[in-house]
Amino acid sequence: MKRRRFLQVAGAAGAGLAAGCSSGSTDRLLPYVTPPEDIVPGIPTFYASTCRECPAGCGIHVKTREARAIKVEGNPAHPVSRGRLCARGQASLQGLYDPDRIRGPFRHTARGLEPVTWDAAIAQLAEALGAAAASGPDRVALVTGADSGALDGFYDEWLRAFRSTRRLRYETFAYEPLREASRLAFGVASVPEFDFASARYLLSFGADFLETWISPVQYTREFAEAHGFRDGGMARFVAVEPRRGLTAFNADEWIAPRPGTEGLLALALAASVVRQGRAHLVGAEADRVRGFLGRFGTQSVAEATGVDEAVVDRLAREFTAAQPSLAVGGGVAHQHRAATQTAVAVHLLNYVAGNVGRTVRFQTGRALDKLSRYSDATALVTAMAGGKVDVALVHDANPAFTLPRAAGFADAFRKVGLKVAFASHFDETAALCDLILPDHTPLEQWGALETVAGTRSFVQPAMTPVFDTRQTADVLAAVAQKAGKRVAAGAASARDLVAKGLAPAALEQTLQHGGQFGPAQQRSVYLVSDFARMAYQPPAFDGDAAGPVLVVYPSASLFDGRGANKGWLQELPDVATKIAWQSWIEVHPDTARALGLGTGDVVTVTSPHGSVEAPVHVYPGVRRDVVAMPIGQGHREYGRTAKGRGVNPLDLLGADATDASGALAFCSTHVKIQKTGRSVQLASTEGSARQLGRGVARAVSLAAARQGEVEEGPEATITDAERTAIAAAAASQRQRAYIGEYAKPQPKWEMTVDLSRCTGCSACMTACYAENNIPVVGEEQTVRHRGMAWIRLERYFEGDTSGTDWQVRQIPMLCQQCENAPCEPVCPVYASYHTPDGLNGQVYNRCVGTRYCANNCPYKVRYFNWWDYGTVGDPYFAFSEPLNWQLNPDVTVRTKGVMEKCTFCIQRIRFAQNDAKVRGRELVDGEITPACVQTCPADAFVFGDAHDPDSRVSRSKADARGYNVFDMLNARPGITYLERVIRGEGA
Amino acid sequence: MSARTGVVGVFGQLDATVTAIETLKARGYANYRVYSPVPRPELAEALAKRESPVRLFTLFGALSGTAFGFFYAIATSLDWPLITGGKPIIAWPPFIVIGFETTILIGALVTVAGMFLLAGLPKLGRAPGYDPRFSNDKFGVVAFGGPAQLAEAREIFGHCGAEEVRDV
Amino acid sequence: MATIATPVPASAPEPTYAETNRDVIATLRPPGRKYFAGMAFILVGLAFGAFCWGYQLRYGLGVTGYTPPIFWGTYITTFVFWVGIAHSGTLISAILLLFRSGWRTAVYRTAEAMTVFAVMTAGLFPVLHLGRAWYAYWVFPYPNFRGVWSNFRSPLVWDVFAISTYLTVSSTFLLMGLIPDVAAVRDQAAGWRRKLYGLVSFGWKGSDREWRHFGKMYLYLAGFATPLVLSVHSVVSWDFAMAIVPGWHATIFAPYFVAGAIFSGCGMVITILVPLRKAFHLERYIQVRHFESLAKVCLLTASIVAYAYATEFFMAWYSGNPFERASFYNRAFGQYWWATWIMLTCNAFIPQLLWFRKVRTSIRALFVISIFINIGMWFERFVIIVTGLSHEYEPWQWSYYLPRWPELGILIGSFCWFSMWFLLFIKFFPAVAIAEVKEALPAPVRAGGHR
Repeated sequence: MKRRRFLQVAGAAGAGLAAGCSSGSTDRLLPYVTPPEDIVPGIPTFYASTCRECPAGCGIHVKTREARAIKVEGNPAHPVSRGRLCARGQASLQGLYDPDRIRGPFRHTARGLEPVTWDAAIAQLAEALGAAAASGPDRVALVTGADSGALDGFYDEWLRAFRSTRRLRYETFAYEPLREASRLAFGVASVPEFDFASARYLLSFGADFLETWISPVQYTREFAEAHGFRDGGMARFVAVEPRRGLTAFNADEWIAPRPGTEGLLALALAASVVRQGRAHLVGAEADRVRGFLGRFGTQSVAEATGVDEAVVDRLAREFTAAQPSLAVGGGVAHQHRAATQTAVAVHLLNYVAGNVGRTVRFQTGRALDKLSRYSDATALVTAMAGGKVDVALVHDANPAFTLPRAAGFADAFRKVGLKVAFASHFDETAALCDLILPDHTPLEQWGALETVAGTRSFVQPAMTPVFDTRQTADVLAAVAQKAGKRVAAGAASARDLVAKGLAPAALEQTLQHGGQFGPAQQRSVYLVSDFARMAYQPPAFDGDAAGPVLVVYPSASLFDGRGANKGWLQELPDVATKIAWQSWIEVHPDTARALGLGTGDVVTVTSPHGSVEAPVHVYPGVRRDVVAMPIGQGHREYGRTAKGRGVNPLDLLGADATDASGALAFCSTHVKIQKTGRSVQLASTEGSARQLGRGVARAVSLAAARQGEVEEGPEATITDAERTAIAAAAASQRQRAYIGEYAKPQPKWEMTVDLSRCTGCSACMTACYAENNIPVVGEEQTVRHRGMAWIRLERYFEGDTSGTDWQVRQIPMLCQQCENAPCEPVCPVYASYHTPDGLNGQVYNRCVGTRYCANNCPYKVRYFNWWDYGTVGDPYFAFSEPLNWQLNPDVTVRTKGVMEKCTFCIQRIRFAQNDAKVRGRELVDGEITPACVQTCPADAFVFGDAHDPDSRVSRSKADARGYNVFDMLNARPGITYLERVIRGEGA
Repeated sequence: MSARTGVVGVFGQLDATVTAIETLKARGYANYRVYSPVPRPELAEALAKRESPVRLFTLFGALSGTAFGFFYAIATSLDWPLITGGKPIIAWPPFIVIGFETTILIGALVTVAGMFLLAGLPKLGRAPGYDPRFSNDKFGVVAFGGPAQLAEAREIFGHCGAEEVRDV
Repeated sequence: MATIATPVPASAPEPTYAETNRDVIATLRPPGRKYFAGMAFILVGLAFGAFCWGYQLRYGLGVTGYTPPIFWGTYITTFVFWVGIAHSGTLISAILLLFRSGWRTAVYRTAEAMTVFAVMTAGLFPVLHLGRAWYAYWVFPYPNFRGVWSNFRSPLVWDVFAISTYLTVSSTFLLMGLIPDVAAVRDQAAGWRRKLYGLVSFGWKGSDREWRHFGKMYLYLAGFATPLVLSVHSVVSWDFAMAIVPGWHATIFAPYFVAGAIFSGCGMVITILVPLRKAFHLERYIQVRHFESLAKVCLLTASIVAYAYATEFFMAWYSGNPFERASFYNRAFGQYWWATWIMLTCNAFIPQLLWFRKVRTSIRALFVISIFINIGMWFERFVIIVTGLSHEYEPWQWSYYLPRWPELGILIGSFCWFSMWFLLFIKFFPAVAIAEVKEALPAPVRAGGHR
């Protein structure tokens, strides 16, 4: 109870502050009469919770200031996230403060939308439910997202109380093929746990495990562990998929088989392994497997897949030579009509390579295993269409958007007597509902999730609700009570359900920790022969085979579209194409040339099931016979940011395009592409896709790296004599420059970025937005290169992109904090100057806006406030109420006409320094982390004091792979990049 | 000069004016003034005045300008030393630009001031013997002195071909 | 507009002192309808420019076409353009004075006035291109409670000093030169005019004492103005040369810019003199030989500028510096090829026509060429600034900029601002230096004939 009271107090104070901030008047700013014990003004309070932006369930810390959530970071104690977080997770804040949130309960009537009281709504719902239950079984349907733990159980129990079992745990990506394949191959219908970290060889069949697949943050961390270059070694990663996305960018080799044939390739690999006598098989099983695999001759497969036999044999050899290895299947490879077969094939490949039980482990009770299948969803649609459902409740799901339009959800849903939405937004589904009972956002909720076996991950409110919302479970409990049903031993609220069986002290302790994290219970599996009964051949595709195959993939930032109303995620350039705010269709350069298309040309994409219009993005990362479109845009409802933006490629899919597991085949149709004659400018942040030997993002082969060799840049032309001369000049200059405050012993903040770890996931960008109050500028300004992201992910193509044998170089580019910063001396008013601890200070309120500094910055990491993003009432005001609640109080909101830039999160540095000072302690190396460093799931950044020879950053700088971008300019950057290492064939 | 009685000769030709001046000098006149629409070397020769001291002002102004420029740049840089681009706090090359500009600025202004001082400008009152035609196409010589001298001057002007001789 | 030159017949006698006064002062007669119509047109343009700036101040620089990393564009281009225009004025009035070249007297007053007004125009741009123009005064090193002075290492502060010095000195120079002429005007005027001109002439009487010091002062001012004019455009060029932007960072910039400045300035002088001469019937004073001399200066400076272009491209290639090479390749054949070729055509090729005496002595031809020169020199600055910035070190940050209407509005406004001052000037002050023209004429002597 104490926490509740405190939250109320805090919330009230918060509301007061909010009024103060937004209206600019100070009359509501009241001091605490009796200060709540958890709040010290100026000192942040962290609440451990769990991220609900995707089913992975990362542990998070919500940073609050004066009872206001201002930032979300990973929970270091949590087994999934280990203190890191992806862009989507961090953007949950914008979900909390979204101005388009539903601010109270509403009812849809003939007169349209009108507010209702909670009591009235609950009464109406209870009545309807009573009637439904009375009129027979299964008249009530409850659709939720991927839920687990206490609340999940409660929902089922609650539903039973109303004589129904129509429960849908609906997720757009439910991994049905993987689960089904596990059942067929090992008798366990489960999503296995993959151990990327210890794998020495990675083979991915379409799995975008660095973007959205299963648990991206965890897998990014583990992948960086395995694939990052350390002590002369690293894992090799081969990506097999018709479209090269971010995950495949990180591959040492990209193999692009015909869409749908990944499974055959996997089988051919397994067969080759067996043929080469490298299989880990014994006895009768060996014969059985050999017999089965015998069907897949390398040659026939080579024809089907378009992958050369030699390549297959080589991969098989490499795959088994490295121990342990790991093959994963997912993404597009698990999204066609032969998805289940593909998943089986990948399982078999792992099995023959002896990875099952080592890098592929099965556990009991994964939340994903309980997810409903796409076929379950369509079944519900049929039931609703057939009038078999009287009351339908939708919570934490938006099927009206994420189901193909052909599935006819909307029409069926309309037939339901009473439709209730427990939504935060008027999304496509809520717009169809009669009752809208707004739910808390995850940052206001209670919960205890069991996403991964062995963990119980708690969700707790970080602040009092922003609006008049209620947690769904609380409402349902109240409804049950009203209807006279006793559910969950009469638990009245989500909090009761979560706290059940925990003493207050234990609860407090668990909440502080973020949950209970025990070891996962492993289950050993053996091969069962059910899989052999399936037919293994390339899948069928709808439409005219003359046209390219359409690959529909989840957007790494918008996921299945749920992120589309969050400015941070819309403005985050797509990790692969670097396009923000828009929809696009990726077309191979040759195909584009054949069709006479250029980037920006708007085309009509037609499938047998529908057609959409989208601009072309000419992209070498797709096969000539494939075009690709991201899911996420094309909302017809939802909110100001998402509504009417882009198109939804799901409109092109057939509802009955499913595979053996009943999963939707996202990749199931050929499309026709026609010019419309119109053309648009893409909101791309890409200036040039080629770095033209300028040595910005460098890479070196593993063999070379082992010899300590590196790729050289333009600075290599500087002779040693010149270097010594430069050094001498620098020394004498330094002497005459470093006087006064500068002469005292000072730290020098520096950073290293290991490009062999960085995957390009762009989580750092969102972290920077959150920490530094960076405004979201919108589509039109992004088109004009006016985005404000202080840190950006540059993506360059290397090599001949006409084939598949090319590499991608990615590099996070942020202010290099140069010692001889070109930006500083040109400023007439000292707004840009060098701080004694080695940073390029930027004094916002001193800047007059000559923009000379930006002209003279070789790295182009200075950003100008073209508009008045920070002033209430201005047409470009970027933090409309209550988004402004999120602003970091430690950072100025910049005004019109000033230059802004990264300063290594100076506010975090100063906070730590002050804390050390007041506590009279020494700063610990690694204690200070800029926002980007803090969140990086791949742990690619090292930050610290370069004047301390023992600091991690000093040691990391000394790495032979270390280089400075544009070193020949003698700006002496404070950021050292460590070259990416590419592990070629065999090596 | 306060208005003293004098006589003015209005000349239409340069050489006439010159002869008039020379004769006045020959007769030992010290106190006379010449008006001309344009500066003519002939007149300067005839008058044979020494070099104008304006140049001293110029020199002084220029030097003090240089000094001021460098002093200002150095003093303000040291007042709050802020490093930009790792360059020395006292960076000579840029300061030379400042010093140069202030040299010219102050030098030029002081020169002008000097001219005003020496030429006794501004002089908004009327000048004895001045005639609007002197800014157009006539030359004028004004001689001052006692009645006797003036009579003589009158005679000289007439003799030298003055178009008009008046008392002032 | 086409203007028919009415060359002075060789038989025509040199004007006398009186005629000179008469003819020149005639230019100050009350203006006619044409004048007011022109003035009205100009004020409308000026108002539009003012509106554009107000609009920009209200909403921010976002209203311009700036596309990072192109942070400078039309404004700085126009700034340098106007500073350049200013230079020929000082060249003609000061440098040629030191060189004692006779032909300057007829045209220098116009040129000098042009200088002052051009600097006044140029001075606006560094302010209105600022993100926070209302704090422009912060660039001046004045004592303030923040305890921060100006960063004297910044070329922009050099600019502040150079431009303000230039404005002060050149306007002083103009004012001083005016003194005897204003006195002449005074002596023919009556009533309040007489009083006003009396004040402006500081009570000049043309006594031997005044002439003596005046002459020296004028000489020393010219002596100051000469190094100043060279320094000012060098400093302006260093705004670019001191930066490390490929295409900017070159030691050739100072002389290259000075030559360009004089080139554009002389072009502008011709553009202005042709109609002026026609409107005020000053053919006897501003003669074809004067135009020809101006044309020769243009030809010389055009050749220097052309040589500089060639040198830039050569150095980019010869340096072997990949960034310089890329920048200049992009300049000639990249997205901005059109601007570059306009520049080369107008500045390097067309002026070569001036090798022909026929062209040099045809007022109409000169006028047309001078227009091309003005256009070409504006584009020269555009090419240097914009192509340089569009194609810098960081390939990921390359982009393309085109000005938007507020920028063009302010550009137009700047021309109107300049013309407004000029039109006012020619109605209030003698557009031809009376005293100095007369000085160049043979003095009236008793013998009657010329000596």
